[in-house]
Parts: sequence; C-alpha cells; structure tokens
Amino acid sequence: MAFFFSAMKKDLARWRQDALSLLLWLAIPLLIGGLIMSFTSGGDGPKPRGLLLIDDRDDTFLSRFMAGAYSQGVLGELLTVENVEAEEGAMRIEAGEASGYLVIPEGFQDALLDNRPVTLELKTNPSQTILPGIITDVTEVLLDAGFYAEQLLGDEIRKIRETGENNLVNDAFVASISVSIQNKIESAAPLLFPPVIEVTVAEPPAEEGPGVPFAVYFIPGIVLMTLIFVANGLAVDYWKEREQGTLRRLASSPKHLIGVVAGKTAAATVVLTVMGFIVLALGFLYQGVPLSRMPSALAWIALSGIAMFAWLGFIQMLMSSLSAAELITNITLMPLMMIGGSFFPLAILPGWLAEVGRRTPNGFMVDRLTSEIVAQGSWAIDPVSWLILALLALSGMVLSAWRLRAGFARG
Amino acid sequence: MSSVMISVHGLSRHFGDLVAVDDVSFEAQAGAIFGLLGPNGAGKSTTINCISGLLKPTSGRIAVAGHDVRRDATAAKQSLGVVPQELAIYEDLPAIENLRFWGRAYGLSGAELDARVDDVLGTIGLGDRARELPKKFSGGMKRRLNFGCGIVHAPPVMLLDEPTVGVDPQSRERLFDLVRAERDRGTCVLYTTHYMEEAEKLCDSLAIIDHGKMVAAGSMDELRAQLGARDVLQLNGEFPGAAADRAVSALAERIGEGLEVISSSESELTLTLNGASQMLPAIFEALASAGAVVNETSLRSPNLETLFLLLTGKELRE
Repeated sequence: MAFFFSAMKKDLARWRQDALSLLLWLAIPLLIGGLIMSFTSGGDGPKPRGLLLIDDRDDTFLSRFMAGAYSQGVLGELLTVENVEAEEGAMRIEAGEASGYLVIPEGFQDALLDNRPVTLELKTNPSQTILPGIITDVTEVLLDAGFYAEQLLGDEIRKIRETGENNLVNDAFVASISVSIQNKIESAAPLLFPPVIEVTVAEPPAEEGPGVPFAVYFIPGIVLMTLIFVANGLAVDYWKEREQGTLRRLASSPKHLIGVVAGKTAAATVVLTVMGFIVLALGFLYQGVPLSRMPSALAWIALSGIAMFAWLGFIQMLMSSLSAAELITNITLMPLMMIGGSFFPLAILPGWLAEVGRRTPNGFMVDRLTSEIVAQGSWAIDPVSWLILALLALSGMVLSAWRLRAGFARG
Repeated sequence: MSSVMISVHGLSRHFGDLVAVDDVSFEAQAGAIFGLLGPNGAGKSTTINCISGLLKPTSGRIAVAGHDVRRDATAAKQSLGVVPQELAIYEDLPAIENLRFWGRAYGLSGAELDARVDDVLGTIGLGDRARELPKKFSGGMKRRLNFGCGIVHAPPVMLLDEPTVGVDPQSRERLFDLVRAERDRGTCVLYTTHYMEEAEKLCDSLAIIDHGKMVAAGSMDELRAQLGARDVLQLNGEFPGAAADRAVSALAERIGEGLEVISSSESELTLTLNGASQMLPAIFEALASAGAVVNETSLRSPNLETLFLLLTGKELRE
C-alpha cells in the first residue's frame, strides 16, 4: 500500500512539472466547446438592440399607432424607439448612432384614410445589416397592414376621425362603431380562421427535463472531451517511462507491476477529476445548474477518467512505438468524440447516429452524465451503468498490468 | 567472507533459433567484484536480465542470496540492486525524491528510508543538489544518481550492466570508487563490461563470455596463470597461403614448442610465444625467407585481451 501511494505521489509530482500541457488539455476543450455552443445556440448573451429614430410630423392617431408598433412584442426586444426632431434625427443617422431614421410626413393619417398616396422617408445605417433590414421589413408590413385595415374598416375609422374632430363622441356612437367593427370581423372570420397552416408543437425529449437551458446539454460533451485529452496525454507516460528505463528498473524490483498501474491510474484520476471539476463547475455556474448535482456528476467523471486512462494506456502499450501509439489514439479518438456527443450533444444528433454514439465508450459516459446533470435530483444514473463503467475501468487496469508484465516493461 | 551470493548453473536462454546464452555457470561471492567480460552481443546483458528476473531462462538454475529467482522471485529481487546500462531515473523528479521512490520500491519507509537516503546522497556526492531536478545535472551526476538508486536499499547483491558506457574518464573513476566502496561494505557485485582495462582494474574474479558461451573463468591470478609469460605477436602484411605455411614451419623449427599460431590469413598472422621481443629478428628472417612481407608489427604483454584472443582467436573489441 505504501508503494501505491509512493507511485501516485511520484507521478503527480512529475506531471506538475508539465503544468503547461495540463492547462492546454483543459483550455482546448473549453475553447472548442465554447465556439460550438455559440455557433449552434447563438449564445445566451444579451441580444443586440437597435435604435430607431422617428420624426412624427403628423402626430395623429395613426402616426402614433405606427410609431408605437416598433416597440411592441418581439420588436420591443430588438428596437428602442426614440422620437426626435428633423435636425437631430438627420444628424444622428449621419453619425451612425442609430439603425434607422423614419420620417412620418404631415398628412399621413389623412392620406391613408382617403386612400391617397403618401411617402414615408426611411434612412438606414449602412454599417449595420440585420437591424436596418428588420426595420425596413416591419415598415413595409405596417404600411400593408394599414392599407388592408383601411379597406376593411375605412368607414368606421373615418367616422371616428370626423366625430372626434367635431367632439361628438358619446356612448351611442361608441356602441354603434363597436357593433359595426364586430360585424365586419365576423364576416371576415371564415377567411381568417382557422389558419391554413397547422402548427404542431413537438414534445421535448423526456430526458431533457423541464426548464433546462439547451446549452446545458453541451457541458457533458465538453467534460468528456477534456477527460479524453487529459487521459490520452497522461497515458503516454507508460511509453515515457519505458523510454527512460524506469519501467524496466521497476520490473526488476520486488513490487508487482499492478502496483505501478494502480499508482499511475490513481495519479491520473486525481488530475482528471480536478480537470473535470473545473469544466463542470464553470458549466454549472454559467448555466445555473444546481450544485447539488455536482458530487454525483463528479463521481461519474472520476470513474470515467479511470476507465479512459486505463484503456488508453493499454492501447498505447500495444503499439510498436511512442509515435505509433500517439498516432493511433489520436486518429481513433477524433471520430469517437464526433459521434460520442463531445462536439454536438447526442440530443441533437439524428436518431440512428445518437444511438450509435451512445454505444461508444465515451458516448455512454456522455449520455449518463447528461442524464445526471439534467435530472430532477442527484444520483440519477442507474446502478447497472455504474457497474458497467466500474468493470470497464477494472478490465482496463488488469489489461495494462498484463501488458506491462508481458514484455512492455522490460523493453 | 566466501559465501556465495550469486549462483548460476547451466543457464541457457534462447530467442527462437538464436542461442543468446549457452550453458553458462559461475558463482560470485560476497565482498567481491565478479566481472562478466565479453564483446558486445556476447550474452552478458541476457545473463544479467535472467538474474534480475526480467527474462525467464530457457534452462538452468539461478539463485540470488540463496533465493531461487523463479520460485522465490520476490525475495531474490529484494536482495538485488540493479544499475542498468542506460540511465533509469526520473529526470523530472528531484534527486532526493528519486532515491525515496526507489527506496520505497524495495520496501523501505519511515526513519530507515530517511537515513538511507541521506547516507546515499552523501556517498554519491549529491547532498547539496538533493532538491534539484536531475535534468539540470551533468552526465556524471546523473550516473551517480542512477547508481545511488540501485544501492538505496543496501542490497547484498548488485548487478551493474556496463555502467561506464559513454561516461567521461573522471566520472568513470568516481563510479569505480563507488563500486569498490560497495564491495568493501560486503556487497557481492556482478559487473559486466566489454572494457578489458576496467575488468582488470576492478574485478576480483571474472568470467569471459563469447557467443553465449563461457570461455574462461576464475580469479584474476588464475586467469593470468593460464597465459603464463607468453606474449602475443601480431603481424600485418602479405602472407600468401603457401608462404605463410612455410614461414610458420620455419619458425616452429627455429623456436620450438613455445610457439602457437592463434590465427592466420593472407594479410595477418597472430602468434603467441615466450619472450617474443628477443625472438623478433629470427622471426622476421624466417618470414622473409619464406616469401612473406611484414608491414606492421604489434607486440603485447600478457593480459585479459591476449587471453581472450588466445581463447577465441579474435579481438575483444571486434
């Protein structure tokens, strides 16, 4: 037992000397994961807001209605509307301070109601692309809506205007106008309802759980990517020890080589768990995942780390040289990460591909870690999965010890 | 002081059709340095690997400190301190931690480990550099640390496999001192080398091995006695077949029984005889009269090199 701790301590001390590699193995998955998250989900950061300057020279019911339409609903999340005078508006749009500058001319309401041509002036900011486009489209839609509204309810609107101007509004007038508008809407209803397009809202996958941000599904893949990079990098240590002659020397010592494997695996587990914790903690804090799920997720990560290190070590020891070992593991791990949920969550892969991915070792780990993170409570992974992973780890260690004894250690 | 610490009987090791070690037997005593001398590829390292348990012998029996290396491998290994030919240290681990690790690998712990590590650091002269990483050390310092890792558990038996290959003369002398110190402490040292001078300088007894076979064994005095006072005379030149035969016959007639031909070819003739320096004029005359031409002459006094030549018909460094 003393030798086990000694071997573990020795490797931890040695690997600490190469802190730069450890940092790179941590940074690369975070970078890749961050980029993929922002490409696929658009990120969860603040949305861009544009500024629309409106010079309302008509200042009527319809001109105010139109100006107000830009700050309603979803548009209100994208645009800030500010009323300005002509000189200020022209100056600020020239200076590029706004996404658009709209001039509603005097006589706009009358022209619309009298079905006469009217020209609105819209200047957009050429240095922006999306928001000026939205403003242009919305303006066109509003004008179209105004035209159809005039066709449908022109009489009623004109009566409201005239009655308002003559100050003759009373309860009877309001009631008659309301009934008239109601009748026209009811007569148009068969054309408007039900809608021609039926929208069916798909049920989200049961495993996603309620209220989990989509970005959370990226966390397990990034964690596993980190584990793979670190485990593969550390597993090379068997070859390093062989090339520097220390494995051979250990083979001639009275200690059993399983102690060497156990010590090295324990050291790797410490490093892998710390790395996994860092990535997991960043993901949890950024996405607001309850920290109560951390212990169970971390336990799964630690056991996954053991299995991964043990098997990668064994596979590398089967190769004929250090460069062959690195080459083989690198070209094998890339596609495994692709289909195993490290680059894209299994939940968004096509069904058959996700099923294949779940059957890869890393995909199995990602899948169960995902269920652990998005579950309602902690320790959600089923006992059979824990058992499978434990057997995977144990078999990798036994095979590594066998390979050491079978000639790898003596070179 | 004559207890047998390494006992090798009928050791053979085959690699497929290749016989690397063929029926080798020897014994090494406590408090003595036993040399295994032979050219590269002679089977020295294979023998050492069988003793250290890295290789299973094809046949034969090996015991270390009374423990059979196959049936009682752990006890046999516990008695061994191995200093491999190549450096086998952790260059990214401080020197003191290297010694601690290898001490623990041989079962030391606590105060005993601390005391041994301090002792060894003093012995190998790295006490003031103990906390530094070996990758910053000179080649000689790394060699000393490599040696220290092999003695940290105070083994009764040490295996040193060509420890001076590629080592500068100063570091080599320092290493010899360390080996002698271990011998004086009562350790049985098995030392392999292909440097004849090293073996003569360091070893109390040795075995000469070539092509996997042991060609001679004994104490240095016993081996020198095998040579007697015979010198080795090596002649290079032109010795066409018939001329060489005539020359050798003429020499044998003139010199008598003391002459022995070790090897002969059309360009080289190697002889051994008593008092060769006095006989040179007669030898040259006999060769000239037989039609041979001598371009270069080399006369060597009896030593291990000449013994090897005598026994195998070739140079140790070939």
